[in-house]
Amino acid sequence: MTGKRHRGSLLKIVVLAIAIFAMIIISFIGSEIGSGIIGSKPISFLNVEAPKYHPAPERPFHHLPITNTMITAWISIVVLGGLFFIGTRNMKLVPTGLQNFLELIVEAAANFIEDPAGERHGRWFFSVCTTIFLFIVANAWLSLIPGFETIHINGEPFLRNANTDLNIPAALAVVSFCYVEYWGFKAKGVSYLKTFFHFGPLWQALKLMFTGNIKAGAGGLLNGLVAVFAGLLEILSHLIRMVSFTFRLFGNMTAGMILVMIMLFLVPWVLPIVFYGMEAFFGFVQAMIFGGLTLGFACAAVMEEE
Amino acid sequence: MEGFLGLTLPSFIGQLINFLILLGLLTFFGYKPIRRMLDERANRIKKSMEQAEATKQEYDRARVEVEKRISKARDEGQSIVGQSEQAGERIKEEARQGARKEAQAIVDRTREELERDRDKIVDELRKEFVDMAILAAEKVISETLDKEKHRQIIEKTLEESAALRRNES
Repeated sequence: MTGKRHRGSLLKIVVLAIAIFAMIIISFIGSEIGSGIIGSKPISFLNVEAPKYHPAPERPFHHLPITNTMITAWISIVVLGGLFFIGTRNMKLVPTGLQNFLELIVEAAANFIEDPAGERHGRWFFSVCTTIFLFIVANAWLSLIPGFETIHINGEPFLRNANTDLNIPAALAVVSFCYVEYWGFKAKGVSYLKTFFHFGPLWQALKLMFTGNIKAGAGGLLNGLVAVFAGLLEILSHLIRMVSFTFRLFGNMTAGMILVMIMLFLVPWVLPIVFYGMEAFFGFVQAMIFGGLTLGFACAAVMEEE
Repeated sequence: MEGFLGLTLPSFIGQLINFLILLGLLTFFGYKPIRRMLDERANRIKKSMEQAEATKQEYDRARVEVEKRISKARDEGQSIVGQSEQAGERIKEEARQGARKEAQAIVDRTREELERDRDKIVDELRKEFVDMAILAAEKVISETLDKEKHRQIIEKTLEESAALRRNES
């Protein structure tokens, strides 16, 4: 009896697999590229518009300087703000529903942040790192909602994944940079500048040379020059971080968007689901990287050097 | 109009403001109340754990105290029982002694009364007997004996009887 049932479910799986495979093949043949290869006419409802990509965000309202990524960013803000606003109305000591979910997120983030940063600094970093993470995730996941990119106004897409607008990664990178430097000064005061302008060892060596101890001074001179050079490199690295932050997020998200568009064009049925799943994962990973790197740089900035 | 890859200053500033607004919103409506709640809960749990610990210690202490008191009370009870047993024994003995004395007194008094009654009865009987004897003798013998002799005989008899009685007692 169990064998019969087993055979029955196996049969179902085989039928399902064949159906899925058939849908992929049919949709490929029916699409513009597939029909071109075979030499038949494309089937109208499988004929997806060829992907057009402009790096700059479109403006659905021609007379208004509002881009579609700006609208998406507002939607993300409304969704996130609304979730937290509703979830924290009359909070209960024993959490239920949305409050429980939000507490889960906040507590996970707090643990993630306070693990390397410690209790005191963790409280400083918490808001910025968590908000960067949530904003990127919200932008990425909202754009995966079916129908998201199909709304058109005045011939332009009304909504677009906000992370694919270079302005957003750039803005986040600048925020991250400013906060890291601010925390550095907050933790160490003016002596935080020593990270970048480290002339101490060089002065010491020069002083030794001028007071007669030429041999020891000459030895220290090299160390002093290395320290100055390392400080200059540090300035460069802090500035370059912003660029890498910006283009890592922008590149990953844009590539994902283009990949999904191309897959939809080539094989309109079934197969793009896989890429949607991948995009959901990559959106999370990119958000994690952005927030995590901000946290890492912040920890490095406030860390006491011995 | 369009900068490098769509990077424009108005857009950039707009997104910067967007992010700062979101940061403010989430910080004041999300993170702060939630973290306060988390802290409060952690505090509450810590406090109740401490309370539970304190209660347990209190309980242990109270139990030891109660056990000590119970054993003390048991000892006291036992000593009270011993004392009362002794007291009871003593009272019983005293009562027994008293009763014996009283009974003796009653017996003595009764005997005295009885003796007194007996003497009285004997005296009365004797008097009556004398009178009856004289009467009978008068009737039987009538005038065969003179009165002097008669009296002498009776007196003698009484004398003997008195002597007999004295011997008896």
